[in-house]
Amino acid sequence: MLIIGENIHIISPHIKEAIANRDTAAIQKLALEQAAAGAGILDLNIGPQKKEGVEVMRWMTEAVQEVTDLPISFDTTNLEAIRAGLRLAKVQGMVNSASAEPQRLADVPPVAAEFGARLIALTMGAAGIPVTAEERVAIAIETLIPRAVELGIPMENLYLDPLFMTVSGCQEYCPPAIEAVRYIKLGMDPAPMTTGGLSNVSNRVPAEGRSLLNRVYMAMMMAVGLDSAIADPLDKELMKVIRIVETRDDSSAAGSLLLLLHDRVAAMEELEAGDVDMNEPDQVEIWKTYQVLMNKVIYTDNYLRA
Amino acid sequence: MAVPEVKEKYAGRIQEVTLGAGSRGKTVAIGGESTLPFLHFEGTVANRPAIAIEVSDREPDDWSPLLKEAWGDVMGDPAKWAAKAEELGADVIALSLDSAHPERGNTGADDARKTVRKVLEATTLPLIVYGPGQKDKDNEVLVAAAEEAKGERIAIGNAEEKNYRTIVAAALANDQVVIAKSPMDVNLAKQLNVLIGDMGIPKDRIIMDPTTGALGYGVEYSYSVMERVRLAALGGDATLQQPMVLTVGYEAWRTKEARTNDEVPQEWGDWAQRAILWEANTAITLVNTGANLLVLRHPQSVALVRKAIDRLMAGA
Repeated sequence: MLIIGENIHIISPHIKEAIANRDTAAIQKLALEQAAAGAGILDLNIGPQKKEGVEVMRWMTEAVQEVTDLPISFDTTNLEAIRAGLRLAKVQGMVNSASAEPQRLADVPPVAAEFGARLIALTMGAAGIPVTAEERVAIAIETLIPRAVELGIPMENLYLDPLFMTVSGCQEYCPPAIEAVRYIKLGMDPAPMTTGGLSNVSNRVPAEGRSLLNRVYMAMMMAVGLDSAIADPLDKELMKVIRIVETRDDSSAAGSLLLLLHDRVAAMEELEAGDVDMNEPDQVEIWKTYQVLMNKVIYTDNYLRA
Repeated sequence: MAVPEVKEKYAGRIQEVTLGAGSRGKTVAIGGESTLPFLHFEGTVANRPAIAIEVSDREPDDWSPLLKEAWGDVMGDPAKWAAKAEELGADVIALSLDSAHPERGNTGADDARKTVRKVLEATTLPLIVYGPGQKDKDNEVLVAAAEEAKGERIAIGNAEEKNYRTIVAAALANDQVVIAKSPMDVNLAKQLNVLIGDMGIPKDRIIMDPTTGALGYGVEYSYSVMERVRLAALGGDATLQQPMVLTVGYEAWRTKEARTNDEVPQEWGDWAQRAILWEANTAITLVNTGANLLVLRHPQSVALVRKAIDRLMAGA
């Protein structure tokens, strides 16, 4: 699982301030922490930055490359800023992101093609975000993939993002995202790469409840072949779940159920109440979380107590 | 070719809640269904949706003249009003202790007790008692109402996420039913039911009010929320299996179409007919997505809704 570290993000007040003050040390500290925690790429989300985008991205790219060799994902709607970052990149970069919305489809992929960069492409058109897996996959097949092929972007550089949505308010979108990844990975040859904003699944969820939702969703996404995720590598519990799934470590109660969940999802089967040791609190948490992520039980902030 | 089997078999069932006990001449059971509304071929629709008529403890100054015309003098007296509402076909009396609002009279617990007593004596029907919708006053008068009506199994409300403990405790201590009101959101509706359930009140004493909007003012959105609540409940989600009450009269009569005839296009037609249909239409829409109890205001819309429910229940 390739983790695209999400922590350098303009939405964080700390990062916003660091950008305003050009606080190189603050950015470098977060870059190093994410690298040490296992991030494979570092996402630099500087926001739209209509005026200062080029300068901000140059500064930040240099700051990060001074302390780590990790590739960078350039995350802004300012295309000139993405270009400026890619020009400075010492290793293959990533463009975050294109979509099937006509303007972004026209403008963004050529930048990735020009620099031989990886490209994240959202399965979202002008009509917004589709609910069903079929519609998301259709956008990929009919629009995103042909555009990449047209520009000579190889499938190993195209990261389709079927859009992960929050369980709090968009619950019905959660299961189709899993099926969209499955379809892309199993149904296409050569299959493009896949990614998604993992933390989106717990947007608007109280802070203490977020990691559990993120990591159970991650185990399910790994089962259908998700290649990478834009996620928080500093979440130790999340990184532990990735390790458990990758090394098939069933030594804990949580681990054995997560592996069973993973295998069931991979086989297009469901986890059932009988699979769960209801005396194991860790297993009960995973079971309840699975049920809300599958839209079988309606989410509420205190769903673990329901 | 064989006809495909379309019947659903649901794992869950809506909780039945009974209003009225003690000195009530009638009791009203709501909920209890094992299928979506009126699918008599598929499951049991144990009880027909019930109609409550709203009665206020003070003459409302913001109600439509059409309502004042319909009710006449009884509007100044909640006991007479309740008696007339019973006569005109209510199943339940929804008494609003609106005079307790700090800006509408600021009456207190003693007044609430007297009003509740008077209304209990004037009607044989079960009661809902609503507070004025202001936290401190709700707590004050709903506790008084719950105590005064002990043994009568009334419903008190609204318990909301920001203010439910005192109200639920009063219902618990006096064997009353509580109305759990949430703002048109399935996640928040569930959350409140969980919080209220945590206080130990039995499930046969909780009614949920998921909030509606009138025709043209969000009824389709609340329809979807209620549909989702009901499908989850029938699917087995025990925290959403409470029967649903909707304050249709309140919503319908604050729409421009119902409230006034000033400066409205001529094509809108007869005012009274329009207003009554607005309320009835909203109500009939909502019984089709699972409303178990409707709080209405106009006697003629009560009659129309009753007739529609008769027909929907004909296959039972």
